[in-house]
Amino acid sequence: MAKAFSAGRRGITGFLEPAERDLLRKLFADIITMLEPERPAHEDPLAALIGLDMEVQVPSDPALLRLLPHAVKNDDDSALEFRQLTERSLRETKIGALRAASLSLESEKLVLDPESAKLWAMALNDVRLVLAERLEIRDEEDAERVHEVQDWDEADDVESYLSLVYNFVTWLQESLLQAMLSELTRGK
Amino acid sequence: MSVSTAPETDREASTRELISPDIPWELIVWNDPVNLMSYVSYVFQSYFGYSEAKAAKLMLEVHTEGKSAVAHGSKEKMEAHVVAMHGFGLWATVQKGGPRG
Repeated sequence: MAKAFSAGRRGITGFLEPAERDLLRKLFADIITMLEPERPAHEDPLAALIGLDMEVQVPSDPALLRLLPHAVKNDDDSALEFRQLTERSLRETKIGALRAASLSLESEKLVLDPESAKLWAMALNDVRLVLAERLEIRDEEDAERVHEVQDWDEADDVESYLSLVYNFVTWLQESLLQAMLSELTRGK
Repeated sequence: MSVSTAPETDREASTRELISPDIPWELIVWNDPVNLMSYVSYVFQSYFGYSEAKAAKLMLEVHTEGKSAVAHGSKEKMEAHVVAMHGFGLWATVQKGGPRG
């Protein structure tokens, strides 16, 4: 079993079983695939440099839309315009965090400095957002329904399996956050 | 003809909006059942530099009221913040501010 993350003198440390590492690597890779733009960067070097993408569309997959939400409410034109200016670099930020987290799974023991802990928390959060969309978690009651699935022996369908994975990633993120918050408090 | 004057008015209005530095904009963070309270607190503390108490107050406001205006300022600043919030996976939007509070 994984051990909860803990804050110590060398940073935040954690321990994961090989099977848990494989699972996380797969989840991170799945989200990276979702986030990779379908089209290469703009041919105009200046547009590519600033991440401008005039052909960007609102994602049709609700899980991807949750990762790349509208920045303006009730104004589709402004929201799309903002997306053209920012979505490509947002995708890159997220992919960067997911890749960094995936890379640190290569070493036996997880030791995270504040920056890599932040990237880990972001990566785990994106995994949870996508799983939550697949599990149709729309309100606190839905969240409770998923939270109640705790027994791996009873995982006999996709939904209960996904629920267990969601609960594991939630537990991991919460333990990481407790360690990060205690470091923040101590640093003051 | 009166039609020709219309574009002129439009341009003036939009120019005024563009150059006016003191129109307050705000960053709204919305509640959702996925993001952990600890994570939202962490983001408010580490990204905005808010104290533990202020971060907790805003986080609870998001949780109980459904949303909270967590930052106020220029349009450009709020737009930079909203991208950062989306980077963290928080559900945030920018809007022209109403009365502060």
